[in-house]
Parts: sequence; structure tokens; C-alpha cells
Amino acid sequence: MSPKGKTRIRRFSPVQRLFHVLLILSFLTQGATGLSRMYIETSWGKGLASVFGGYESCLTIHKYVGIFMICWFLIHGLYLFFKIDWRQFPRSLFGPDSLLPRLEDLGQAIQHVAWMLGIDRLLRLDRWGFLKKLDDFLLRITRLPPLNRVSYLKEFDGLLSVITKPPRFDRWGYWEKFDYWAVFWGIPLLGVTGLIMAFPLVSTRFIPGWGLNVVFWIHRIEAVLAMCHVFIIHFFIAHLRRHSFPMDRAMFEGSVDLAAARHEKPAWIARLEQTGKLQSQLVAEISVGRKALLYVFGYAAVGFGIFLLIGGLVNSTSITW
Amino acid sequence: MWQPVVRSFRESFWSVLVSLIWLVILVTLLPNPALAQGEMVMDIRRYRERELSTGYYEEYEVKSARLVPIVSVPGVRRGLFPYSPTGAEVRIRTRLADSHRGIKFYKDLRCEYCHVNEKWNIHTVRGNLICRQCHGGEPIASINHYYSPMNPTRRHAYVCSKCHEGASASYASYVIHAPNPAMLSTKETFPVLFYVFWFMVALAVGTFAVFLPHTALWGLRELLMKKEKTEGES
Repeated sequence: MSPKGKTRIRRFSPVQRLFHVLLILSFLTQGATGLSRMYIETSWGKGLASVFGGYESCLTIHKYVGIFMICWFLIHGLYLFFKIDWRQFPRSLFGPDSLLPRLEDLGQAIQHVAWMLGIDRLLRLDRWGFLKKLDDFLLRITRLPPLNRVSYLKEFDGLLSVITKPPRFDRWGYWEKFDYWAVFWGIPLLGVTGLIMAFPLVSTRFIPGWGLNVVFWIHRIEAVLAMCHVFIIHFFIAHLRRHSFPMDRAMFEGSVDLAAARHEKPAWIARLEQTGKLQSQLVAEISVGRKALLYVFGYAAVGFGIFLLIGGLVNSTSITW
Repeated sequence: MWQPVVRSFRESFWSVLVSLIWLVILVTLLPNPALAQGEMVMDIRRYRERELSTGYYEEYEVKSARLVPIVSVPGVRRGLFPYSPTGAEVRIRTRLADSHRGIKFYKDLRCEYCHVNEKWNIHTVRGNLICRQCHGGEPIASINHYYSPMNPTRRHAYVCSKCHEGASASYASYVIHAPNPAMLSTKETFPVLFYVFWFMVALAVGTFAVFLPHTALWGLRELLMKKEKTEGES
């Protein structure tokens, strides 16, 4: 049981939340300045650009904020270096508190999709009927002796038992790990191509000038991919699905509701309870005023992202360059 | 009183012919009228001098194919083909002093009347440049003509540097009139652009092909889920 008033469990440290806030601000600025240049022929693009001082100053802001993003990305790399538990290394990298992907994540992803599709329930209800049909099918096409068929069915039953089991997520779900590591492919790709284009006279000393044509498209498609992923998938999962609605405050407040965590991340809570660390991780709810502030900030970011997404989609046929 | 000399046709013919022979002899005996320039432009002579000395050449020494009987034209025809003073010029307009030579009603046409796709480049669309600001005034020399400012040997200095101060030859290899990267024809003209573009598109489409249905299903499943939450059911 949680101590009185402490109904939430700590999930992110203040430094991690600061990194996320910086990412939100810089990502939205980059998205807005980049899109306003991309759509400058449209009234939507012109209006967006005017917020940042016009077409030329959009590029200036885009370059400086891009360099700022690269800097904090490198600082985040340093932070990770110091955050690694070197005494337990390399075991600590593959523990349940680590964000490194594990094979277990793949299994959980399959289980999760099976749960979404309702396969788990369907198979649990008629598992033996399904296996009987499979046995008949095997007999018909292979003419295998009964002993072999039984061994195959046992294997298959083992697989079914994994699929039909609902996933028990630990601290990090596979989708959260994907979101985290996507930044590690997005920022280097956007950062390097951005630097190449920002300093073409220097970069063309090392790559041919026609490389600028190529990196332009890498930068553009990767940026569109990143924005669409964040504005559609990340926003929906973190804020709009039923479990998180109206907003998952974890990344702003640093903690999540214990009951909700017990529901979505049962293995994490069970592990903390078993090791007796749960009590030390519990924190109280923040004040209503602070909560309101977080909602305003969070929804301003979500709203602006959706504005960029819809504006971009609606005007996509008017892109001239 | 002066009387005009009346000559027969035969006499006139022979006098003209003899005069012409004398003229030819005179021309052959005279020194080269532009010997100093000849020293600078005689490819074979300079080639031999360098070949015997260092074997290394400066960019200005990489001469046009004016005196070379066989030339290769990139993008027009694979390999080598015989060069004739008229034939190649008719077929290929990349090496003419006036690339628009012989085009009917040329002076009444706008550039984009023929160069439809070339109009859509970032310098024109976004930089508000007009064609002549890079390609120069009439006559617009072919891009590979030796004395053209657009020639890759000096494009960076004569054209790009007007705005991009310090542009190098490598910098000038940026393709202003880049083809549409999505088009199949780009596979032939700019293969790196074509393959990189489609790789990035495949990456984006692949990501969404996994995560869009995943997200939609998840949202739907949670929406239809019973309100009671039980331990072990995510």
C-alpha cells in the first residue's frame, strides 16, 4: 500500500524531463521554420514564416536551433555515459531499467498486437478445437505418424501459449524504446545533412557539390517522417488513447499514477514490490496550479504539432519546391 | 588620252589566277599573324612541353577538344564518336559558342518556352533569379564550350561566386536543374539521387506501415475495452 497522499511513482528525473522539454521546444521550432520555408508559396506557409520574421530569418533560426539540438544531443550522450552503472557493466545495459532493446520486446510486441486483435481471447476459448483442426490438417498433407504430429502440436501449443498470454510490460514498453531510439537515428541524420547544407562551402571540400542535391532530400524526407511520427503516433499514444487521456503527465511531472502503472506496467511494479523499492519511489501529486500549467504547456505543444500536421497535409499539393 | 585596256576573257582569267597564286605564296611566306596567341593556344605544343617536363597540368591547360579528331560527349552517346565540324554541332548543342544558333524565331521566345523543367529550380523559384543572371547575355555559349563561363572548369569562379563567395569547383558541381528524384528517368541521369530518395521513402513508408495500424488498433482496443481493469490485462 502506498503511504498516505503518495499515489504516484517516480518515472523520470528532472534532468531527463529537461531534455524532453528542450526537445519539444527545439523540435517544434525546427518543424515550424522548416515547414514555413517548404510552404512559402502558400498563404499558410507565409503566415507561419511571418511569426519567425520571414523567409530568410526562418533559415537563420533553423540553423541556430539545429546546432543547439546537435549540442544537447551530444550532451545527452555524455549524460548516458555517466548514467551507466559501470560496476554492473555490461549486465546493467540489458536489465529491465535499461532502454536498450531486448529480444523480450519483440515477444511483447507480438503479444500486444495479438491482444489488440483479440487473438488471445479467441485462441484461449477454442484452443483445443484449433489444435484438433491443425492435427487433421497435418495428417492430411503430411501423413506423419501420430507421435511426430503430437510433438509438432506441442511446439505449436507452446507458441500459442506465448501469444495468448497478455504482455506484462516492465518499466519500458517496446513502443517507448522505439520512440527513444528513433531520436538517435533522426538527429544524426538530420544534423549531419543539415550541417552539410548550412555550411556548403566547407562541406563541398569533402563531398562533391552534387551531394548537396542528395542530402537535401534525405533531410526533407527524414524531417517529414519525424514530424508525422511525433504528431500522429507519439501524440496519440502519449496523450489521446484512453489509458493516457487527457494527457500523460509523466514526462512533465516526472511521475505516473501508481494504479495506472500497475495496470500498464505490471512487471515493473511487481519487481519494485519484490525488491522492496516501491515505497521509496512513491511521490505525492503536484498542486492543481502546477498541474494546470503542465496541461497548458503540453496541450500547446500538441495543438501546435497538430496545426503543423494539418496545415502541411492540406497545403501539400501546393509545394512548388 | 587614256584608253581603257580591253582584254579578252581568257586574258582576264589568267591574270586573276596568277594574282591568286602570288597571294597564296605571299601568305605562306608571311609570319603567323598571331604568333603570341598561337603559343598559348597550340594544344599539341603545350602538351608536349608539359609531357616532357612534369607530366602535371594546371586546370587552364586542360584544353578544349578543338584540335582533337575524336571527342566523347557525356550523356549524349556512350564511348567515342567521330567529330566533324558540322555534324556534331547539329546534333549536340553542349559545345557551341552560341548554343541557340539556328533556332527559328529565337529572339521572340522566352527561355521557359523550351526549358520547361529547368524553370523549376530553387534559384529561380526561391532566389528570384532569372536565367540570364547565371547563363549570361547573348550569345549564350553552350555549357561545355571551352570559353563559356558555365564550363565546369570555371563555373565556380565566373557564375557561382557572384553570390556564393569562395565557391569551389566541387561546390559548382551542385546540380541546379536537378531532375525529379522520384522519376524513373532519374535512375539514368542522377542514380544516387534516385536510389537515396526511394530508400528514404521506403524508410518512411515502412515506419508508418508498422506504426499507423498498430496505433489505430491500440486506440480502438482500449476504447472498446471494459472499464474494469484487471491485474495482468494490459
